[in-house]
Amino acid sequence: MAELSIRGVRKSFGETEVIRNVDLSVGNGEFVVFVGPSGCGKSTLLRMIAGLENVTSGTISIDGADVTHADPSKRGIAMVFQTYALYPHMTVEENMGFGLEMAGIPADERKRMVRRAAETLHLETYLARKPKQLSGGQRQRVAIGRAIVRDPKIFLFDEPLSNLDAELRVRMRIEIAKLHADLGATMIYVTHDQVEAMTLASRIVVLRDGRIEQVGTPLELYNNPDNQFVAGFIGSPKMNFVPARVTGRTEDGAVKLAVDSLGLAEFAVMPRERNATMPETLSIGIRPEHFLPPGTDGAMDVSLGLGAVEHLGGVSYIYTEPGRDGSLTAEVRGLPGLKAGGLLPLAVNPDTCLLFSTEGARL
Amino acid sequence: MKRSLPATLLLGLSGLFLLLLIGMPFWWVVTGSFKLPQEIIARVPTMVPHSFTLQHFAKLLSGSDYPVYMINSLLVAGISTAITLVLSVPAAYAFFRLAFPGREALYRIILLAYAFPSIVVLIPLFGMFARIGLIDTLAALVIINVTFALPFSIWMLRSFFASVPKEIEEAALMDGAPPTVILRRIMIPLIAPGIASVGIFAFISAWTEYVFASVLILSDAKRTVPVGFSGIIGQYQIDWGLLLSGASLAVLPVVILFALVGRWFVSGLTEGAVK
Ligand SMILES: Nc1ncnc2c1ncn2[C@@H]1O[C@H](COP(=O)(O)OP(=O)(O)OP(=O)(O)O)[C@@H](O)[C@H]1O
Ligand SMILES: [Mg+2]
Repeated sequence: MAELSIRGVRKSFGETEVIRNVDLSVGNGEFVVFVGPSGCGKSTLLRMIAGLENVTSGTISIDGADVTHADPSKRGIAMVFQTYALYPHMTVEENMGFGLEMAGIPADERKRMVRRAAETLHLETYLARKPKQLSGGQRQRVAIGRAIVRDPKIFLFDEPLSNLDAELRVRMRIEIAKLHADLGATMIYVTHDQVEAMTLASRIVVLRDGRIEQVGTPLELYNNPDNQFVAGFIGSPKMNFVPARVTGRTEDGAVKLAVDSLGLAEFAVMPRERNATMPETLSIGIRPEHFLPPGTDGAMDVSLGLGAVEHLGGVSYIYTEPGRDGSLTAEVRGLPGLKAGGLLPLAVNPDTCLLFSTEGARL
Repeated sequence: MKRSLPATLLLGLSGLFLLLLIGMPFWWVVTGSFKLPQEIIARVPTMVPHSFTLQHFAKLLSGSDYPVYMINSLLVAGISTAITLVLSVPAAYAFFRLAFPGREALYRIILLAYAFPSIVVLIPLFGMFARIGLIDTLAALVIINVTFALPFSIWMLRSFFASVPKEIEEAALMDGAPPTVILRRIMIPLIAPGIASVGIFAFISAWTEYVFASVLILSDAKRTVPVGFSGIIGQYQIDWGLLLSGASLAVLPVVILFALVGRWFVSGLTEGAVK
């Protein structure tokens, strides 16, 4: 258990700056998830925390002690790699015990500690096997076992489940959540998977191009994103952004909008700051799951062109102009017979809509 | 994997052809060394020996200096191989792991050692060795053999090191292993096939080295097999029995070496580490 503090950290590979001035505090026992598009620097940031990558400038401290230049093994950190990185010539027991051996722990004590960690992960029967005699899920558990056996203050995970199939991924996700609850350790977790991020995180850090866009609980990011990037990144399918013109303000501060592409007029959306001045044109963000049946109270009716329809069983997705910029996505329920072509009447409640400037800032 | 019949046949035939091509001379030499002299020089050569005798081996081992040459050769080749390995493994690891200015240039330059035919460097080396008193010593041969085996060994081992996934080393780093322990406990076991190949390469090149051994060694008691043995054969007239038995014995250490390290050549050593 530990606190982690990152202050003004930058990282350049040669000329290219990959991490640009990141500040982040992670509290004791938190589960922090890094998300962001590929190449935004998630792994690099994680590897700097681990000590596998030099920090160009700034400081990293753990429990108040500056570890910016400390050896990886001196930081009290364990890391689980996406590719497991087990020692192929050693048995599961040796794999898990190697770090303890390096720490100078005597053999019998080591054996006991490995056994205890193996029990937590249901690996007791595999201790004598080599990694190549294990399935992918078992290998990943050994990799996690190698981390927990050393009782680290902070766990780092870099996309640990992305090599597993969907079903196993769900099982391991639940095991990791349970592990976090049992150990109460601080964990930092990189993932591409929305569901992993939303379900595991106590806070999510959204990174883009080496910068933190927003930090918050999963629901904060979902309901109250700071900008269009975060709004588009959190939530699946992606939020729709529709251009709109400001036509006036209501008495209580809501912005009256004309949305030509949806045929809406006098659509009154409350901005984040009641008194903020509005530009003439802006975008409305509407989540696909926020389209409602037509005639719903408090909502305004719209009709969407049925460019394409996908049925997933419980829900169906409709796309107005699939593949084009400006295509809208809507999630609807209870319409299993829906086919492409024609129009579908729906409704939008202005209270669930968000406003963004054309530069992408939240209004 | 399923193959069509003609493809299987073709593969089998080419395998057989190669086996004959390589195996025939061996068979000829080894069986010949047990034949009576009349049969060896018989007008119609025999594939399967009709006679059996150990007289050539007896003559070789008790009537000539061959055993001395053998011991010299084993010493030179064994020590050369050991030194080559001890130097090339850490050097290759350094070339692979340490980032220092000029690394790539140096890495290419070391292969330049093979640009010169050995005969070109022979004379200046003789002069240098004479000055430091290394002429007519086995140490001189060891130095030569190591010098010529090292560049290729380093070059080859580096690519073996490069085939080990970087995360394995990083995991060891996180586990608190110092670089020497990572090399010894993690990297060396993982590149065992590379080390075996380099060992065999170094041993065979030292075992068969002729030019330097014939010039730098003066006294008969310090000759190695290639040089000493050619002396035995040419001493009177060509004694075919002696030649064949000597040749048979000369390949023995190499065959034994292959048998010993063969099991290291297992592929997929890093299987199960990643993915
Ligand atoms: N050793 C390196 N040398 C040069 N550039 C690097 C190096 N490692 C990473 N980069 C660059 O840094 C950027 C961030 O890489 P990083 O691996 O942190 O991305 P990521 O967010 O983890 O992406 P992904 O989701 O695809 O894993 C990328 O543009 C990458 O090309
Ligand atoms: Mg990554």
